[in-house]
Amino acid sequence: MRVNFVLSEVATGLRRNLTMTVAMILTTAISLGLMGTGLLIAGMISEMKEIYYDKVQVSIFLAPEVTEEQRAAIQQELESSTEVASFVYESQAEAYERFRQQFSQQPELVENTPADALPESFRVELVNPERYEVIAAEFPNGENGVDQVRDEGEFLDRLFSLLNGARNATIAVAVVQALAALLLISNTIQLAAFNRRNETNIMRLVGASRWYTQLPFILEAAIAGLIGGLLAAGGLILTKVLFIDRTLAGPIRAGIIPQVEWDAIIWNSVIVSGVGVALAGIAAYVTLRLYVRL
Amino acid sequence: MANGPDRGPGLVPWRLVIEMQHVTKLYPASGRPALDDVSTEIDKGEFVFLIGSSGSGKSTFLRLLLKEDDPTSGTVTVNGKPLGTMSKWQVPKLRRTMGCVFQDFRLLRNRTVAQNVAFALEVINKPHRTIKRVVPEVLEMVGLEGKANRLPGELSGGEQQRVAIARAFVNRPLVLLADEPTGNLDPETSEGIMLLLERINRTGTTVIMATHDYHIVDSMRRRVIELNGGVLTRDQSRGVYGVGR
Ligand SMILES: Nc1ncnc2c1ncn2[C@@H]1O[C@H](COP(=O)(O)OP(=O)(O)OP(=O)(O)O)[C@@H](O)[C@H]1O
Ligand SMILES: [Mg+2]
Repeated sequence: MRVNFVLSEVATGLRRNLTMTVAMILTTAISLGLMGTGLLIAGMISEMKEIYYDKVQVSIFLAPEVTEEQRAAIQQELESSTEVASFVYESQAEAYERFRQQFSQQPELVENTPADALPESFRVELVNPERYEVIAAEFPNGENGVDQVRDEGEFLDRLFSLLNGARNATIAVAVVQALAALLLISNTIQLAAFNRRNETNIMRLVGASRWYTQLPFILEAAIAGLIGGLLAAGGLILTKVLFIDRTLAGPIRAGIIPQVEWDAIIWNSVIVSGVGVALAGIAAYVTLRLYVRL
Repeated sequence: MANGPDRGPGLVPWRLVIEMQHVTKLYPASGRPALDDVSTEIDKGEFVFLIGSSGSGKSTFLRLLLKEDDPTSGTVTVNGKPLGTMSKWQVPKLRRTMGCVFQDFRLLRNRTVAQNVAFALEVINKPHRTIKRVVPEVLEMVGLEGKANRLPGELSGGEQQRVAIARAFVNRPLVLLADEPTGNLDPETSEGIMLLLERINRTGTTVIMATHDYHIVDSMRRRVIELNGGVLTRDQSRGVYGVGR
């Protein structure tokens, strides 16, 4: 294979339809960027699930007028219950401290919240998270110093269905964009094949192999896909630097949202670039097979 | 036949280069077949004129030999290989044994004469050294030795056709297919092209030339195959263009 020949063909091809090439690269980049974002969200969701679901499933909030004996009785009951895997006690002071950390970005909210506004609570991990009803029945609301028993799982389910929705929407838009990108790639390749029909006709007649004839086109698409992938990777890096490390810094420090590590960014960038190259190359190959006589 | 192969036993092994058996080609969306039950044989080293009015199937005949298209029925055999059972990826190898020349030259406008010829070798992966050696050789043979670095636009029609012939012949094909190679040229220039094709034929290359030019056919007195509405109506070993003209 004459590398020079192939490369110069690819370069000419990319230059010849500059507008198409740019459109193809941008569409691919947007699609891949959204795909990368979707992957990041998916990764965050599974990490958050680990953080939340595994720890607290039920919170038992105590009434402000709870007595020492009532508190001890509740603790006693939790210790003896076979449904309870573990539990921790959180005092008003601890609850306030956690609140302050979580909302460190909104100092006026923290200032306007008195230190005793947050109730003390027991945070309970169940052996089987589905058995919330049993615990709720054991500690009736408003009795024996219990103010309210809350199924955190239910709240988390709602939170995660929201996050899953965001992920699915991102991926859905990515797929639509990918479709547009594939059509553009196909179109560009058809145009490129038309522009080079003299060369390819001669190549066919003198017995150049199909592979030799097709390679410049496939490489052309693959390179455009790679550039699109690299742009998308750049987008992911910017997201990390400008959005995750700034806007989300507070919640991440407070442990509400898991940190998005550079590992994940780099790994997703590699995936996205690989997908860009592979999809563009395959699209070009299929286009050549279906629409172009080589 | 002056330059025909020796069919007798002994000396040169007799060899069919092209064989067509009951070949019919029906293009879709066309009622009348472009070729209608055509059978013929062409030996190694023959010079054959393919004549007939416009639309009689000459180009179709040549396309089938190149496996640019497949016959609707019948078999085409080139150099002992039946094309019907040949797989797609073997076609390039078949085409490397054949050269083609067309009425419209089909040169790359942005490449020089030498580059046009070299292109045909580059794309089939011939080594650089070979290309460097054979391109000047073949350009000299077609009479373009001083014009290697010109662009096709800087050449006359006859010279452009010589470039095309050089490109078709540089790989020393078994068969040279020429589809109206003199169609765009004046009689004098055409004569030069014919001399060149004759020279190529003398090297042992089979030449099949489709043409309308009866002057050429009449003066050369070579084998003539005539097609008429896709039907082979005449096959004469020292023919002229039209009987009784
Ligand atoms: N690709 C095609 N699709 C449909 N019909 C075709 C195609 N190519 C040729 N034909 C038809 O087949 C018949 C033979 O065409 P062909 O080109 O072989 O004739 P020809 O003898 O080369 O004519 P000319 O002397 O004008 O070049 C014509 O009727 C033509 O219309
Ligand atoms: Mg024709």
